[in-house]
Amino acid sequence: MTGHRHESFEELISASLTGDLTAVERQRLDSHLDTCSQCRSTLAAFADQRRIMAGLRHVGPPRDLDARVRSGIEQGRLASLPWWRRPAVIFAGVGGGLAAVAGALLAIVLLNGSPDGPQVGDATPSASGTILLSATPLATLPPPVRSGAPSAAPSQSAGTSAETSPAEASPTEAPITASPEPDVYLALTGPFDNLALTIRHGPTGETIAEIDTPSGPPIAAELSPDGQWLAYITRFGESGLNEVRATRIAEGIPSDNPEELPPVDSPIEVGETIVLGESVAGSPFLEHLAWSSNSQYLGYTLSDASANSTDVWIFQPGVGKPRQVTNVGNAYAGSWIPGSAGTSQFWISTAGDEPMSYLRPFRDSAGGGSGPGDPAENPISTAEGIFQPLLSPNGSRAIYWKGRMQQSGDKWLFVESGQPYLSEHSEDFEFASERPLFSDLTVGRDAFTTAAIAWGADGDAYAVWRTQWTGIPQGGDKLYPDPQRVYFGHATDPRGLTQAHAIDEADLPEGASVVDVKVSPTGRHLLITALRPIGGVQEAPRASLLLVERNTGAVADEVLALGSADDGWFGPPAFEALTETGTP
Amino acid sequence: MQSVAVPGPIPWDAPAVTRRAADSREIEFAQLFEEYSAPIHNYVLRMVGDPDRAADITQDTFIKAYRKLDTVTEATSTRSWLYRIATNTAIDDMRRRRMVTPMGNDAPAFANRPDQSPGPEAQVMASTLDERVHRALMQLRPNHRQCLLLSDLDDMSAQQIGDVMGLSYPAVRTLLCRARGEMRRALSAEGFAR
Repeated sequence: MTGHRHESFEELISASLTGDLTAVERQRLDSHLDTCSQCRSTLAAFADQRRIMAGLRHVGPPRDLDARVRSGIEQGRLASLPWWRRPAVIFAGVGGGLAAVAGALLAIVLLNGSPDGPQVGDATPSASGTILLSATPLATLPPPVRSGAPSAAPSQSAGTSAETSPAEASPTEAPITASPEPDVYLALTGPFDNLALTIRHGPTGETIAEIDTPSGPPIAAELSPDGQWLAYITRFGESGLNEVRATRIAEGIPSDNPEELPPVDSPIEVGETIVLGESVAGSPFLEHLAWSSNSQYLGYTLSDASANSTDVWIFQPGVGKPRQVTNVGNAYAGSWIPGSAGTSQFWISTAGDEPMSYLRPFRDSAGGGSGPGDPAENPISTAEGIFQPLLSPNGSRAIYWKGRMQQSGDKWLFVESGQPYLSEHSEDFEFASERPLFSDLTVGRDAFTTAAIAWGADGDAYAVWRTQWTGIPQGGDKLYPDPQRVYFGHATDPRGLTQAHAIDEADLPEGASVVDVKVSPTGRHLLITALRPIGGVQEAPRASLLLVERNTGAVADEVLALGSADDGWFGPPAFEALTETGTP
Repeated sequence: MQSVAVPGPIPWDAPAVTRRAADSREIEFAQLFEEYSAPIHNYVLRMVGDPDRAADITQDTFIKAYRKLDTVTEATSTRSWLYRIATNTAIDDMRRRRMVTPMGNDAPAFANRPDQSPGPEAQVMASTLDERVHRALMQLRPNHRQCLLLSDLDDMSAQQIGDVMGLSYPAVRTLLCRARGEMRRALSAEGFAR
């Protein structure tokens, strides 16, 4: 009798105790028990165990439970202490040196003089100190206008050379052709023992949805192109883990165009939240949410620290459940090919000595889909050496990684020659005309281990932040690449990113660090979720949501704080996708 | 851990509540609370092993249940639904605790006391049967503990356990078998004969 056979009978023995056996199984088990003393012993032990368990003393609830429940219902608060009641490493000890920021709902915060004067290669400075954005609170601004194709928006790249004159238009002359403000943003507010996570309407600040029992502050968010869903990632305190969630915030609106597909319906009601999984925190490669352009799919990556494996998952709003799509242990979500109908196509990457990317098809009508598999099996296209291609919204460009990767603990990182590249992305899924994103860095064997990257809706502007550089800094007396700075560039700028493309140091409050960056559809504004230091362990985490208008040369960036400056965690924001006509 | 400050007992039959009791929702909830508060509390207590936390989790379970009462349909098993809320709330609580550094004023009160406990053998002899079984239970993985409690303490079938834990029938059978195996070893370590 092998151990394996005993194992299969153990399951029958266990099920027999609760009457969960079919007649055939019962007969099979009885015959086996007649001849196997080991399994008879197991049956006796399991039966004893069940008796012991059933005999456990019943402990009644506290007498005031009913009053506590009633009180909780009336006050709208839960009893469990949130995780931030406990000391947290990054929040504790950072000190309370935060510069006081006015508590107005919306306020102009900074209009800093540039500490450095004109930067090499910058556009001609315009009149110093000109404020482009009105100091009026955004809520009272005229309704956002997103007229014109995104490409018509002025490209106000820092470091744009004299040859690229269209991008040099003086900030004072540049009309804002799209609204810089987000469609929605997340807010974690309230006293530290009763924080509420809400999704708010960007222009008005009104609450759209309230999320029960937040696990921690939000660090990433993406709105589905149809505006029905907000997917987001929250930290689980200092656990080293994240949680991926999605909240349905609106009904789909059928289009007037009969040729367009009806909006994706879902068994999940508006206002409900679904937890899509938990994952190792701290890697930009993992903290990436990718909606397909038809809103049929959300692609994301979950890394299981206990199993040391990383795989791609998708959430289909139409099905209402997440499902694992790879099982190779080193797979990462990339991007969906925009505009595909009937079949959605998704770039999935595998980490390794030589990373790979595979384009996989997903049939939109397929309900639950098949089980997880190997992305390398029968892909539509394969891209050797390319990791996590991030396509621009219209799919014509890509930013991706190349280099040698290694697994370090529970994360895959680049260890040699790792850096992001910018390329064209053709209709037959080829990556062509690639060039390093950072043009003034000598990479050699040094590498970026990771960095976070985001495209703007115009398909030209992009931002890079959380850069982790393994080599010697190359910025002379300035740290470069600097993990605390945001690098803001434009694909049409032939020089890519340079040290001069870092946003002003003074854009962030003292001691703050960047959690998330979104490029607004204007192509010249960034929305930065900036983690702010707090004074003690009993304080709730705080983050400012800053709207930065990038200026060049001697003109300092302008910064507007969205949301109440002192009272909570605001951000990340999210934008609805622009349609071909440039309207959301 | 402390629970939220409560201004004072608010009995169910207080005037304001009585007025609202006319509302069928209130009546339905009051019945739900009366029927399930004790077993849910007992289940949660065995899950988390700490009376204060169990009280908080039970409290939160019923607050959430009240908020979601409208979602219960005739086709829904109220019992499974309520146990599912309790299970998820307990898991959330355990996750939070697993995931934070056990330091500061919220750490268990006994954490800083010198270890004056007797050795393992004396401990086994001195403990009541209930304490020994409870200790064994707390050695189990949370999902094993959950399904064993639902099966043997709350007498649920594999199908009902599946409803609570969001698992298929075969998955519950497999999980329950593994849990029994693990519990057998844990009980053995507590001095139970088999």
